[in-house]
Amino acid sequence: MRPDTWPMFLEPAIWGFFFEGLRETIYIALVSVALSFVVGLLFALGRLSRRRWVRWPSIFYIEAVRALPVLLLIVYFGIKGSALFRPIFGADFELPRFWAGVLGLSMYTSAVLAEIIRAGIVSLPRGQTEAARALGLSHAQTMGSVILPQALRLMVPAMMNQLTTVIKDTSLVGTIGIFELLRQGRTIYTQFFNPVEVLLIVLTIYFLLCFALSRASSRLELGYTPREAKKKIRDIELRDQAA
Amino acid sequence: MPGGIAFEFPQLYFTGLWVTIQISILGLLSALFIGTVVAVMRVSPFAPLRWIGAAYVEFYRNTPLVVQLFFLFLGLPLIGFRFSTDTFEHIFRAASIGMGVYHGAYVAEVVRGGLLGVDRGQIEAARSLGLSYLQMLRYVQLPQTFRSVIPPLGNIGIALVKNTSLASTIGVTELLFAAEIVESRTFRAEEAFLAATLLYLSLTIPLGIAVNTLERRMLVAR
Repeated sequence: MRPDTWPMFLEPAIWGFFFEGLRETIYIALVSVALSFVVGLLFALGRLSRRRWVRWPSIFYIEAVRALPVLLLIVYFGIKGSALFRPIFGADFELPRFWAGVLGLSMYTSAVLAEIIRAGIVSLPRGQTEAARALGLSHAQTMGSVILPQALRLMVPAMMNQLTTVIKDTSLVGTIGIFELLRQGRTIYTQFFNPVEVLLIVLTIYFLLCFALSRASSRLELGYTPREAKKKIRDIELRDQAA
Repeated sequence: MPGGIAFEFPQLYFTGLWVTIQISILGLLSALFIGTVVAVMRVSPFAPLRWIGAAYVEFYRNTPLVVQLFFLFLGLPLIGFRFSTDTFEHIFRAASIGMGVYHGAYVAEVVRGGLLGVDRGQIEAARSLGLSYLQMLRYVQLPQTFRSVIPPLGNIGIALVKNTSLASTIGVTELLFAAEIVESRTFRAEEAFLAATLLYLSLTIPLGIAVNTLERRMLVAR
Protein backbone atom coordinates (compact mmCIF):
# COMPACT_ATOMS: atom_id res chain seq x y z
CA MET A 1 0.00 0.00 0.00
CA ARG A 2 1.12 3.52 -0.73
CA PRO A 3 1.11 6.01 2.10
CA ASP A 4 -2.06 8.02 1.87
CA THR A 5 -1.89 11.63 0.80
CA TRP A 6 -4.79 13.08 2.74
CA PRO A 7 -2.58 15.65 4.55
CA MET A 8 -1.85 17.46 1.28
CA PHE A 9 -5.52 18.46 1.08
CA LEU A 10 -4.99 20.79 4.01
CA GLU A 11 -3.22 23.03 1.53
CA PRO A 12 -5.57 25.84 0.37
CA ALA A 13 -3.89 25.95 -3.06
CA ILE A 14 -5.26 22.48 -3.89
CA TRP A 15 -8.79 23.63 -3.08
CA GLY A 16 -8.27 26.68 -5.24
CA PHE A 17 -7.47 24.28 -8.05
CA PHE A 18 -10.66 22.29 -7.45
CA PHE A 19 -12.61 25.52 -7.21
CA GLU A 20 -11.39 26.69 -10.63
CA GLY A 21 -12.68 23.43 -12.07
CA LEU A 22 -15.99 23.75 -10.29
CA ARG A 23 -16.42 27.29 -11.59
CA GLU A 24 -15.77 26.11 -15.15
CA THR A 25 -18.23 23.23 -14.67
CA ILE A 26 -21.01 25.51 -13.44
CA TYR A 27 -20.27 28.13 -16.05
CA ILE A 28 -20.37 25.71 -18.98
CA ALA A 29 -23.52 24.03 -17.61
CA LEU A 30 -25.38 27.34 -17.27
CA VAL A 31 -24.36 28.58 -20.73
CA SER A 32 -25.33 25.23 -22.29
CA VAL A 33 -28.72 25.10 -20.58
CA ALA A 34 -29.52 28.70 -21.53
CA LEU A 35 -28.60 28.07 -25.16
CA SER A 36 -30.43 24.72 -25.22
CA PHE A 37 -33.55 26.30 -23.80
CA VAL A 38 -33.79 28.78 -26.68
CA VAL A 39 -33.00 26.18 -29.35
CA GLY A 40 -35.20 23.56 -27.67
CA LEU A 41 -38.15 25.95 -27.54
CA LEU A 42 -37.81 26.63 -31.27
CA PHE A 43 -37.71 22.92 -32.08
CA ALA A 44 -40.63 22.16 -29.76
CA LEU A 45 -42.72 24.79 -31.56
CA GLY A 46 -41.41 23.51 -34.88
CA ARG A 47 -42.52 19.99 -34.07
CA LEU A 48 -46.02 21.24 -33.19
CA SER A 49 -46.25 23.38 -36.31
CA ARG A 50 -48.90 22.62 -38.90
CA ARG A 51 -46.51 23.29 -41.76
CA ARG A 52 -44.92 20.06 -42.91
CA TRP A 53 -41.66 21.64 -44.05
CA VAL A 54 -41.17 22.95 -40.50
CA ARG A 55 -42.48 19.91 -38.65
CA TRP A 56 -40.57 17.15 -40.41
CA PRO A 57 -37.06 18.64 -40.06
CA SER A 58 -37.83 19.34 -36.38
CA ILE A 59 -38.90 15.75 -35.78
CA PHE A 60 -35.81 14.51 -37.61
CA TYR A 61 -33.45 16.72 -35.59
CA ILE A 62 -35.01 15.85 -32.23
CA GLU A 63 -35.21 12.11 -32.78
CA ALA A 64 -31.80 11.74 -34.41
CA VAL A 65 -29.95 13.75 -31.75
CA ARG A 66 -31.75 12.08 -28.84
CA ALA A 67 -30.73 8.68 -30.15
CA LEU A 68 -27.00 9.58 -30.03
CA PRO A 69 -24.52 9.47 -27.16
CA VAL A 70 -23.73 13.00 -25.98
CA LEU A 71 -20.02 12.12 -25.81
CA LEU A 72 -20.02 11.46 -29.56
CA LEU A 73 -21.32 14.98 -30.22
CA ILE A 74 -18.79 16.49 -27.82
CA VAL A 75 -15.85 14.63 -29.37
CA TYR A 76 -17.04 15.55 -32.86
CA PHE A 77 -17.22 19.27 -32.09
CA GLY A 78 -13.93 19.02 -30.23
CA ILE A 79 -12.23 17.73 -33.37
CA LYS A 80 -14.11 19.50 -36.15
CA GLY A 81 -15.59 22.53 -34.39
CA SER A 82 -13.03 24.96 -35.78
CA ALA A 83 -13.32 23.67 -39.35
CA LEU A 84 -17.11 24.01 -39.25
CA PHE A 85 -16.93 27.75 -38.58
CA ARG A 86 -14.03 28.56 -40.92
CA PRO A 87 -16.28 29.31 -43.91
CA ILE A 88 -17.96 32.02 -41.78
CA PHE A 89 -15.14 33.49 -39.68
CA GLY A 90 -12.18 33.11 -42.03
CA ALA A 91 -9.49 30.53 -42.66
CA ASP A 92 -7.55 30.78 -39.41
CA PHE A 93 -10.47 30.77 -37.02
CA GLU A 94 -9.96 28.57 -33.95
CA LEU A 95 -13.08 27.62 -32.03
CA PRO A 96 -12.30 27.98 -28.32
CA ARG A 97 -12.51 24.62 -26.49
CA PHE A 98 -15.15 26.06 -24.21
CA TRP A 99 -17.52 26.74 -27.09
CA ALA A 100 -16.86 23.36 -28.67
CA GLY A 101 -18.01 21.80 -25.38
CA VAL A 102 -21.02 24.11 -25.20
CA LEU A 103 -21.99 23.16 -28.76
CA GLY A 104 -21.85 19.43 -28.07
CA LEU A 105 -23.73 19.68 -24.79
CA SER A 106 -26.33 22.11 -26.15
CA MET A 107 -27.04 20.16 -29.28
CA TYR A 108 -28.00 17.15 -27.18
CA THR A 109 -29.76 19.04 -24.39
CA SER A 110 -31.77 21.16 -26.83
CA ALA A 111 -33.32 18.01 -28.31
CA VAL A 112 -34.21 16.73 -24.85
CA LEU A 113 -35.61 20.10 -23.72
CA ALA A 114 -37.63 20.31 -26.93
CA GLU A 115 -39.34 17.05 -25.99
CA ILE A 116 -39.92 18.22 -22.41
CA ILE A 117 -41.40 21.53 -23.53
CA ARG A 118 -43.57 19.76 -26.09
CA ALA A 119 -44.86 17.41 -23.39
CA GLY A 120 -45.79 20.50 -21.33
CA ILE A 121 -47.58 22.20 -24.21
CA VAL A 122 -49.50 19.06 -25.21
CA SER A 123 -50.57 18.44 -21.61
CA LEU A 124 -52.61 21.68 -21.45
CA PRO A 125 -56.35 21.25 -21.99
CA ARG A 126 -57.47 21.87 -25.58
CA GLY A 127 -59.99 24.38 -24.28
CA GLN A 128 -57.16 26.84 -23.64
CA THR A 129 -56.22 27.00 -27.31
CA GLU A 130 -59.84 26.99 -28.45
CA ALA A 131 -60.82 29.79 -26.09
CA ALA A 132 -57.85 31.92 -27.13
CA ARG A 133 -58.58 31.36 -30.81
CA ALA A 134 -62.28 32.09 -30.30
CA LEU A 135 -61.35 35.39 -28.68
CA GLY A 136 -59.64 36.30 -31.94
CA LEU A 137 -55.99 35.77 -31.02
CA SER A 138 -53.75 34.62 -33.84
CA HIS A 139 -51.86 31.33 -33.63
CA ALA A 140 -48.67 33.13 -32.59
CA GLN A 141 -50.51 35.23 -29.98
CA THR A 142 -52.19 32.11 -28.58
CA MET A 143 -48.81 30.42 -28.18
CA GLY A 144 -47.03 33.46 -26.83
CA SER A 145 -49.51 34.76 -24.29
CA VAL A 146 -51.69 31.78 -23.39
CA ILE A 147 -50.05 28.40 -23.95
CA LEU A 148 -46.34 28.96 -23.35
CA PRO A 149 -46.59 30.89 -20.07
CA GLN A 150 -48.66 28.04 -18.59
CA ALA A 151 -46.66 25.19 -20.13
CA LEU A 152 -43.27 26.60 -19.15
CA ARG A 153 -44.37 27.11 -15.55
CA LEU A 154 -45.32 23.46 -15.34
CA MET A 155 -41.99 22.46 -16.80
CA VAL A 156 -39.79 24.26 -14.26
CA PRO A 157 -38.98 21.13 -12.20
CA ALA A 158 -38.18 19.14 -15.35
CA MET A 159 -35.86 21.88 -16.54
CA MET A 160 -34.12 22.01 -13.17
CA ASN A 161 -33.56 18.26 -13.47
CA GLN A 162 -32.08 18.89 -16.88
CA LEU A 163 -29.64 21.36 -15.33
CA THR A 164 -28.56 18.62 -12.91
CA THR A 165 -28.08 16.24 -15.84
CA VAL A 166 -26.04 18.82 -17.73
CA ILE A 167 -23.82 19.40 -14.69
CA LYS A 168 -23.13 15.68 -14.65
CA ASP A 169 -22.54 15.73 -18.41
CA THR A 170 -19.95 18.49 -18.14
CA SER A 171 -17.63 15.83 -16.71
CA LEU A 172 -17.36 14.64 -20.34
CA VAL A 173 -16.00 17.85 -21.82
CA GLY A 174 -12.72 17.22 -20.04
CA THR A 175 -12.02 14.77 -22.87
CA ILE A 176 -11.73 17.66 -25.34
CA GLY A 177 -9.49 19.69 -23.07
CA ILE A 178 -11.76 21.90 -21.01
CA PHE A 179 -10.50 22.20 -17.47
CA GLU A 180 -13.67 21.37 -15.59
CA LEU A 181 -13.86 19.70 -12.20
CA LEU A 182 -12.98 16.14 -13.23
CA ARG A 183 -10.19 17.30 -15.52
CA GLN A 184 -8.69 19.43 -12.72
CA GLY A 185 -8.86 16.37 -10.45
CA ARG A 186 -7.09 14.29 -13.09
CA THR A 187 -4.33 16.87 -13.30
CA ILE A 188 -3.87 16.65 -9.54
CA TYR A 189 -3.74 12.87 -9.34
CA THR A 190 -1.38 12.46 -12.28
CA GLN A 191 0.93 14.81 -10.38
CA PHE A 192 0.66 13.21 -6.93
CA PHE A 193 -0.48 9.72 -7.97
CA ASN A 194 -3.43 9.66 -5.57
CA PRO A 195 -6.56 8.96 -7.66
CA VAL A 196 -8.47 7.42 -4.75
CA GLU A 197 -8.40 10.56 -2.62
CA VAL A 198 -8.91 12.97 -5.53
CA LEU A 199 -11.77 11.02 -7.12
CA LEU A 200 -13.53 10.72 -3.76
CA ILE A 201 -13.33 14.49 -3.35
CA VAL A 202 -14.55 15.07 -6.91
CA LEU A 203 -17.46 12.64 -6.37
CA THR A 204 -18.40 14.44 -3.16
CA ILE A 205 -18.40 17.86 -4.81
CA TYR A 206 -20.57 16.66 -7.70
CA PHE A 207 -22.87 14.90 -5.27
CA LEU A 208 -23.41 17.93 -3.05
CA LEU A 209 -24.12 20.14 -6.05
CA CYS A 210 -26.48 17.75 -7.84
CA PHE A 211 -28.24 16.56 -4.70
CA ALA A 212 -29.02 20.13 -3.64
CA LEU A 213 -30.35 20.92 -7.12
CA SER A 214 -32.54 17.83 -7.35
CA ARG A 215 -33.95 18.53 -3.89
CA ALA A 216 -34.73 22.10 -4.94
CA SER A 217 -36.39 20.99 -8.17
CA SER A 218 -38.83 18.70 -6.36
CA ARG A 219 -40.07 21.70 -4.36
CA LEU A 220 -40.61 23.85 -7.39
CA GLU A 221 -43.87 22.44 -8.64
CA LEU A 222 -45.76 25.53 -9.73
CA GLY A 223 -49.28 24.32 -10.23
CA TYR A 224 -50.90 21.07 -11.21
CA THR A 225 -49.14 18.86 -13.76
CA PRO A 226 -51.40 16.24 -15.36
CA ARG A 227 -50.40 12.62 -14.76
CA GLU A 228 -49.92 11.93 -18.46
CA ALA A 229 -47.39 14.75 -18.74
CA LYS A 230 -45.53 13.54 -15.65
CA LYS A 231 -45.25 10.06 -17.10
CA LYS A 232 -44.07 11.41 -20.45
CA ILE A 233 -41.41 13.54 -18.76
CA ARG A 234 -40.27 10.67 -16.58
CA ASP A 235 -39.82 8.55 -19.71
CA ILE A 236 -37.86 11.30 -21.45
CA GLU A 237 -35.66 11.70 -18.39
CA LEU A 238 -35.02 7.98 -18.08
CA ARG A 239 -34.15 7.66 -21.73
CA ASP A 240 -32.02 10.77 -22.05
CA GLN A 241 -30.28 11.11 -18.73
CA ALA A 242 -26.75 10.79 -19.91
CA ALA A 243 -23.70 10.50 -17.77
CA MET B 1 -22.52 5.71 -49.43
CA PRO B 2 -22.85 7.34 -45.99
CA GLY B 3 -20.95 5.42 -43.36
CA GLY B 4 -19.11 3.40 -46.02
CA ILE B 5 -15.88 4.00 -44.12
CA ALA B 6 -17.07 1.30 -41.69
CA PHE B 7 -16.34 -1.26 -44.42
CA GLU B 8 -12.85 0.16 -44.98
CA PHE B 9 -12.07 -0.49 -41.30
CA PRO B 10 -14.37 -3.39 -40.49
CA GLN B 11 -11.99 -4.72 -37.86
CA LEU B 12 -12.29 -1.50 -35.82
CA TYR B 13 -15.95 -0.66 -36.36
CA PHE B 14 -17.55 -4.06 -36.07
CA THR B 15 -15.36 -5.23 -33.20
CA GLY B 16 -16.21 -1.90 -31.54
CA LEU B 17 -19.90 -2.46 -32.16
CA TRP B 18 -19.63 -5.94 -30.68
CA VAL B 19 -17.88 -4.60 -27.56
CA THR B 20 -20.62 -1.95 -27.23
CA ILE B 21 -23.27 -4.68 -27.45
CA GLN B 22 -21.44 -6.83 -24.89
CA ILE B 23 -21.11 -3.98 -22.39
CA SER B 24 -24.77 -3.06 -22.94
CA ILE B 25 -25.99 -6.59 -22.25
CA LEU B 26 -23.74 -7.18 -19.24
CA GLY B 27 -24.56 -3.72 -17.90
CA LEU B 28 -28.29 -4.15 -18.38
CA LEU B 29 -28.38 -7.56 -16.71
CA SER B 30 -26.43 -6.34 -13.69
CA ALA B 31 -28.51 -3.13 -13.56
CA LEU B 32 -31.71 -5.19 -13.48
CA PHE B 33 -30.35 -7.40 -10.72
CA ILE B 34 -28.95 -4.54 -8.59
CA GLY B 35 -32.02 -2.39 -9.24
CA THR B 36 -34.46 -5.08 -8.14
CA VAL B 37 -32.51 -5.82 -4.96
CA VAL B 38 -32.24 -2.12 -4.08
CA ALA B 39 -35.94 -1.55 -4.84
CA VAL B 40 -36.93 -4.42 -2.52
CA MET B 41 -34.67 -2.93 0.15
CA ARG B 42 -36.36 0.43 -0.28
CA VAL B 43 -39.84 -0.95 0.38
CA SER B 44 -38.78 -3.44 3.07
CA PRO B 45 -40.30 -3.18 6.56
CA PHE B 46 -36.80 -2.96 8.09
CA ALA B 47 -35.76 0.72 8.35
CA PRO B 48 -31.91 0.42 8.06
CA LEU B 49 -32.34 -1.49 4.77
CA ARG B 50 -34.57 1.31 3.48
CA TRP B 51 -31.90 3.89 4.41
CA ILE B 52 -29.14 1.96 2.65
CA GLY B 53 -31.33 1.65 -0.44
CA ALA B 54 -32.16 5.35 -0.46
CA ALA B 55 -28.50 6.30 0.05
CA TYR B 56 -27.48 4.07 -2.86
CA VAL B 57 -30.02 5.61 -5.22
CA GLU B 58 -29.24 9.21 -4.24
CA PHE B 59 -25.49 8.72 -4.45
CA TYR B 60 -25.43 7.07 -7.87
CA ARG B 61 -28.06 9.32 -9.43
CA ASN B 62 -26.31 12.49 -8.34
CA THR B 63 -22.74 11.77 -9.43
CA PRO B 64 -21.44 11.58 -13.02
CA LEU B 65 -20.93 8.13 -14.51
CA VAL B 66 -17.46 9.01 -15.86
CA VAL B 67 -16.16 9.81 -12.40
CA GLN B 68 -17.53 6.50 -11.14
CA LEU B 69 -15.86 4.69 -14.05
CA PHE B 70 -12.54 6.39 -13.31
CA PHE B 71 -12.85 5.32 -9.71
CA LEU B 72 -13.54 1.69 -10.63
CA PHE B 73 -10.72 1.56 -13.14
CA LEU B 74 -8.03 3.63 -11.38
CA GLY B 75 -9.02 3.87 -7.74
CA LEU B 76 -9.93 0.28 -6.92
CA PRO B 77 -6.60 -1.27 -8.01
CA LEU B 78 -4.81 1.13 -5.67
CA ILE B 79 -6.82 -0.04 -2.68
CA GLY B 80 -6.01 -3.61 -3.61
CA PHE B 81 -8.86 -4.71 -5.85
CA ARG B 82 -8.65 -5.54 -9.56
CA PHE B 83 -11.38 -7.05 -11.69
CA SER B 84 -8.78 -9.08 -13.55
CA THR B 85 -4.99 -9.37 -13.74
CA ASP B 86 -5.20 -8.65 -17.46
CA THR B 87 -5.44 -4.89 -18.05
CA PHE B 88 -7.81 -5.03 -21.02
CA GLU B 89 -10.08 -7.44 -19.20
CA HIS B 90 -9.90 -5.18 -16.12
CA ILE B 91 -11.11 -2.06 -17.94
CA PHE B 92 -13.77 -4.02 -19.81
CA ARG B 93 -15.18 -5.43 -16.58
CA ALA B 94 -14.86 -2.08 -14.80
CA ALA B 95 -16.92 -0.51 -17.60
CA SER B 96 -19.60 -3.23 -17.55
CA ILE B 97 -19.92 -3.17 -13.78
CA GLY B 98 -19.88 0.63 -13.74
CA MET B 99 -22.78 0.65 -16.21
CA GLY B 100 -24.70 -1.84 -14.06
CA VAL B 101 -24.11 -0.01 -10.80
CA TYR B 102 -25.05 3.41 -12.20
CA HIS B 103 -28.15 2.38 -14.14
CA GLY B 104 -29.12 0.07 -11.26
CA ALA B 105 -30.02 3.19 -9.29
CA TYR B 106 -32.45 4.28 -12.03
CA VAL B 107 -33.85 0.74 -12.31
CA ALA B 108 -34.38 0.74 -8.54
CA GLU B 109 -36.50 3.90 -8.73
CA VAL B 110 -38.66 2.43 -11.49
CA VAL B 111 -39.11 -0.96 -9.80
CA ARG B 112 -39.85 0.75 -6.49
CA GLY B 113 -42.62 2.72 -8.19
CA GLY B 114 -43.98 -0.56 -9.55
CA LEU B 115 -43.83 -2.28 -6.15
CA LEU B 116 -45.65 0.61 -4.48
CA GLY B 117 -48.26 0.48 -7.24
CA VAL B 118 -49.37 -3.01 -6.24
CA ASP B 119 -52.67 -2.87 -4.40
CA ARG B 120 -52.22 -2.98 -0.62
CA GLY B 121 -55.01 -5.57 -0.33
CA GLN B 122 -52.95 -8.06 -2.36
CA ILE B 123 -50.08 -7.84 0.11
CA GLU B 124 -52.35 -8.07 3.15
CA ALA B 125 -54.22 -11.03 1.67
CA ALA B 126 -50.97 -12.89 0.92
CA ARG B 127 -49.65 -12.24 4.42
CA SER B 128 -52.85 -13.33 6.12
CA LEU B 129 -52.84 -16.52 4.05
CA GLY B 130 -49.63 -17.34 5.91
CA LEU B 131 -47.00 -16.49 3.26
CA SER B 132 -43.78 -15.15 4.74
CA TYR B 133 -42.63 -11.68 3.65
CA LEU B 134 -40.16 -13.15 1.14
CA GLN B 135 -42.73 -15.57 -0.26
CA MET B 136 -45.20 -12.71 -0.63
CA LEU B 137 -42.54 -10.71 -2.56
CA ARG B 138 -41.65 -13.65 -4.77
CA TYR B 139 -45.16 -14.87 -5.62
CA VAL B 140 -47.38 -11.81 -5.25
CA GLN B 141 -45.71 -8.40 -5.29
CA LEU B 142 -42.81 -8.77 -7.75
CA PRO B 143 -44.73 -10.61 -10.52
CA GLN B 144 -47.37 -7.89 -10.54
CA THR B 145 -44.84 -5.11 -10.96
CA PHE B 146 -43.18 -6.53 -14.08
CA ARG B 147 -45.95 -5.45 -16.41
CA SER B 148 -45.91 -1.81 -15.41
CA VAL B 149 -42.13 -1.46 -15.35
CA ILE B 150 -41.23 -2.91 -18.74
CA PRO B 151 -41.64 0.30 -20.81
CA PRO B 152 -39.60 2.50 -18.43
CA LEU B 153 -36.95 -0.23 -18.17
CA GLY B 154 -36.75 -0.19 -21.96
CA ASN B 155 -36.01 3.53 -21.78
CA ILE B 156 -33.22 2.87 -19.29
CA GLY B 157 -31.88 0.27 -21.72
CA ILE B 158 -31.68 2.92 -24.46
CA ALA B 159 -29.87 5.29 -22.11
CA LEU B 160 -27.48 2.49 -21.20
CA VAL B 161 -26.60 1.73 -24.83
CA LYS B 162 -25.82 5.41 -25.40
CA ASN B 163 -23.82 5.64 -22.18
CA THR B 164 -21.55 2.73 -23.11
CA SER B 165 -19.74 5.38 -25.17
CA LEU B 166 -18.29 6.66 -21.89
CA ALA B 167 -16.28 3.45 -21.62
CA SER B 168 -14.04 4.99 -24.30
CA THR B 169 -12.80 7.50 -21.71
CA ILE B 170 -11.23 4.69 -19.69
CA GLY B 171 -9.79 3.03 -22.76
CA VAL B 172 -12.28 0.38 -23.84
CA THR B 173 -12.20 0.11 -27.64
CA GLU B 174 -15.92 0.30 -28.19
CA LEU B 175 -17.70 1.99 -31.06
CA LEU B 176 -16.87 5.62 -30.26
CA PHE B 177 -13.22 4.81 -29.55
CA ALA B 178 -13.06 2.93 -32.87
CA ALA B 179 -14.38 6.03 -34.64
CA GLU B 180 -11.78 8.20 -32.89
CA ILE B 181 -8.99 5.83 -33.99
CA VAL B 182 -10.23 5.90 -37.59
CA GLU B 183 -10.47 9.69 -37.47
CA SER B 184 -6.90 10.03 -36.23
CA ARG B 185 -5.67 7.70 -38.99
CA THR B 186 -7.59 9.19 -41.90
CA PHE B 187 -8.53 12.75 -40.80
CA ARG B 188 -11.96 12.07 -42.29
CA ALA B 189 -13.86 13.16 -39.18
CA GLU B 190 -17.29 13.50 -40.83
CA GLU B 191 -17.24 10.02 -42.30
CA ALA B 192 -15.67 8.39 -39.25
CA PHE B 193 -18.24 9.80 -36.84
CA LEU B 194 -21.13 9.40 -39.26
CA ALA B 195 -20.38 5.67 -39.46
CA ALA B 196 -20.37 5.45 -35.65
CA THR B 197 -23.57 7.51 -35.55
CA LEU B 198 -25.33 5.15 -37.94
CA LEU B 199 -24.17 2.11 -35.99
CA TYR B 200 -25.43 3.67 -32.73
CA LEU B 201 -28.73 4.48 -34.40
CA SER B 202 -28.94 0.86 -35.58
CA LEU B 203 -28.98 -0.11 -31.91
CA THR B 204 -31.05 2.68 -30.33
CA ILE B 205 -33.79 3.13 -32.97
CA PRO B 206 -34.96 -0.54 -32.98
CA LEU B 207 -34.87 -0.45 -29.17
CA GLY B 208 -36.97 2.72 -29.15
CA ILE B 209 -39.51 1.18 -31.53
CA ALA B 210 -39.64 -1.97 -29.40
CA VAL B 211 -40.28 0.10 -26.26
CA ASN B 212 -43.08 2.07 -27.93
CA THR B 213 -44.73 -1.08 -29.31
CA LEU B 214 -44.58 -2.84 -25.94
CA GLU B 215 -46.02 0.20 -24.24
CA ARG B 216 -48.93 0.44 -26.65
CA ARG B 217 -49.65 -3.27 -26.45
CA MET B 218 -49.78 -3.13 -22.66
CA LEU B 219 -52.17 -0.21 -22.73
CA VAL B 220 -54.55 -2.20 -24.92
CA ALA B 221 -54.30 -5.32 -22.79
CA ARG B 222 -55.27 -3.57 -19.59
